[in-house]
Amino acid sequence: MGVTCVCQVPVAEGKSVQQTVDILHKKLEQLGAVKQGSFCVDCETYHATGNVSGQPSKLLYVMHNSETPLSCLALFEGGPCLIADANFDVLMVKLKSHFQNSKAHKVECRGSRYRYCDFLIKVGTVTMSSSARGISVEVEYCPCVVPGDCWNLMKEFTQSFLGPSVPELPSVFAAKPEGLFAPADSVDTMTQYLELFNKLRKLQIPGSNVR
Amino acid sequence: MADVVNVGVNLDAFSHAISGIQALRSSVSRVFESLKDGMKNRETLEGREKQFIAEFQDNLQAVNRDLNELERLSGLVGRPSESHPLHNSGLLSLDPVQDKTPLYSQLLQAYKWSNKLQYHAGLASSLLNQQSLKRSANQMGASAKRRPKVQPSTLVLPPQYVDDVISRIGRMFPDMTIELFRPNGTSAVLLVTLGKVLKAIVVMRSLFIDRTVVRGFNENVYNEDRKVRKLDSPKSNIGVTDHATTALLHYQLPQMPDVVVRSFMTWLRSYIKLFQSSCQRCGRFLQDGLPPTWRDFRTLEAFHDTCRM
Repeated sequence: MGVTCVCQVPVAEGKSVQQTVDILHKKLEQLGAVKQGSFCVDCETYHATGNVSGQPSKLLYVMHNSETPLSCLALFEGGPCLIADANFDVLMVKLKSHFQNSKAHKVECRGSRYRYCDFLIKVGTVTMSSSARGISVEVEYCPCVVPGDCWNLMKEFTQSFLGPSVPELPSVFAAKPEGLFAPADSVDTMTQYLELFNKLRKLQIPGSNVR
Repeated sequence: MADVVNVGVNLDAFSHAISGIQALRSSVSRVFESLKDGMKNRETLEGREKQFIAEFQDNLQAVNRDLNELERLSGLVGRPSESHPLHNSGLLSLDPVQDKTPLYSQLLQAYKWSNKLQYHAGLASSLLNQQSLKRSANQMGASAKRRPKVQPSTLVLPPQYVDDVISRIGRMFPDMTIELFRPNGTSAVLLVTLGKVLKAIVVMRSLFIDRTVVRGFNENVYNEDRKVRKLDSPKSNIGVTDHATTALLHYQLPQMPDVVVRSFMTWLRSYIKLFQSSCQRCGRFLQDGLPPTWRDFRTLEAFHDTCRM
């Protein structure tokens, strides 16, 4: 429940996704982090039907996070979002006539969860229809709630195990008014995951055959 | 004096006892005078020594006599009756078993002793203040060497005064809000919210800071069972709590407790940049996963716990 930053790690040269993930795990354990189980973030896409033709149909994303197992998040990209009970999925089934599930576009991110001092690090593999697309790393700094304050701190920490490639301030935080205060819900985290998934989804076609 | 003395005291024996004390004092000073004068001139060395010893013995016997006289007289004087009990604690004197549990008289003696102690300590501190023993010229807030003592005058401050002082200090710092509760009697418990960084609970005894605990901004501070919360608290908060406790032991000025509270709050306020500042010594933000949690008492600079001088 602190400041969270999600970034994508490029796959190492000449190595597979799994091997890169293993390298990251080893680096974290060398740093002194303790493994604390696994996590899963997934995202389902729904098309809104019944729109005026000629307009692209809006996409509704329903996401789950194992960090908050009893809730799920429904959001439009760049638009309003809703935090609901886990039964929301059942509700979506009932709303089949208005929202159609595109099962082929379901994205999942699974991996292990590490804890180092006041940091929570989650390294996961992003898969879409059982093919690995990329690697995501989420770093959460629990004591602080203002992203602007601890950004330098988190950057230093991420660099210590990811190497010198510098992640920049997520756009979610840059767009916030009033001193960049992150309220105590997971909207910002999930928005960042959604951006990452969409980026990886667009990379899907020919060429980048990542195995 | 007159209202304490009544039928239990023998006034006559009292004045005799006072003159007995004077006689004792003069015989003691006579002893020391004869020692100071040394041996008087006589023909032989032996003669001189004998005379000196004889004189010394006479003086000591005079002292002995006067002391015995004084003891006899003090037995006759008697003790003032304790018929003016002090407020609520006087209820202790209603206990009939006076021999086994002489609580009330012991209580009175303890108060008298502590009053005398404070008086002497006050005199000593004013004398010591004249000769400055410190090497640096810095006066305010760095007086860690003084013996922390409490005076009854500053312990029984009216709660209204404490409220005023706290609210004045709260207005001094715009980004720090202080709320005051009195959950148990007259001791104040302050909840200091520092921007959006942390919350500190400060327990006070009249205007002296007793104990502090630091919590994160999001944590629930209103919980009764604090033991559980401490384990969940991030490590940086535990570090800051220890440093805050060190700070309240450091800032000590028994005569001016409001200055102490103000300097403690100034020190605490430097934590508003807890996550933004890097350590002055090593230049990095993190050391073993912790931000610089130590603030120097004089310069308010940030250091890691392991980097501080």
